[in-house]
Amino acid sequence: MNHLLLMALYAAIVGLFFAVVARRARRAQIVLFLQIFLGLVLGGIALGWLMFFFPAGPPTPG
Amino acid sequence: MSTRRSAKTTAPPQLPLANPWLAILAAWLLPGGGHFFLGRRGRGGFFFVLVLACLAIGVALGGHLPWQFEGSPLFILASIGTLGGGLPAIAVKLSGYVGDPTGAGLEYGRAFIITSGLMNWMLVLDTWDIAWGKELEAEDSGGAEEQSDGGEA
Repeated sequence: MNHLLLMALYAAIVGLFFAVVARRARRAQIVLFLQIFLGLVLGGIALGWLMFFFPAGPPTPG
Repeated sequence: MSTRRSAKTTAPPQLPLANPWLAILAAWLLPGGGHFFLGRRGRGGFFFVLVLACLAIGVALGGHLPWQFEGSPLFILASIGTLGGGLPAIAVKLSGYVGDPTGAGLEYGRAFIITSGLMNWMLVLDTWDIAWGKELEAEDSGGAEEQSDGGEA
């Protein structure tokens, strides 16, 4: 299971949904889709990198 | 701003385009059904495909379908979100689907399933607005760029 692909798929679905719900003009729909899609994907990657600064839990024994 | 506000308050009460209660019932039962009911067939079909695809991906991943209306508040909220999916979500639940508790897609799938329900709740609200003739206000609020072409998706 490709986690990045699933995240991109999720972002695409959410972006498409809000673009069509909240905008009527085609150009405005594309702009909003790109904002949501890129915001979710790049934001997810950025948050993933930030998590390196936090401990992952207790060390495994042995 | 104040003139616009006063213009709104003096405007005559708006009549619904269609029965708003029937419209939101159709919207809840079937994703996109409310838009279809109100004559927005293109958008209704689009939402039908998109919301069902989201639900289908969640099920294909073996995601957990939240359906617990007592106990932990977070589970109740997730269940209310899932319930927004209407008949398709209910059908998945009644089919005996439980997801794959040991699968890697349990959490991912759950996110897709809950999101499909939440999207349909938003479609119910959008249907309510359209039924009351508030769709044009949404077009106006997007700025001049949107008004240049009013194409329907």
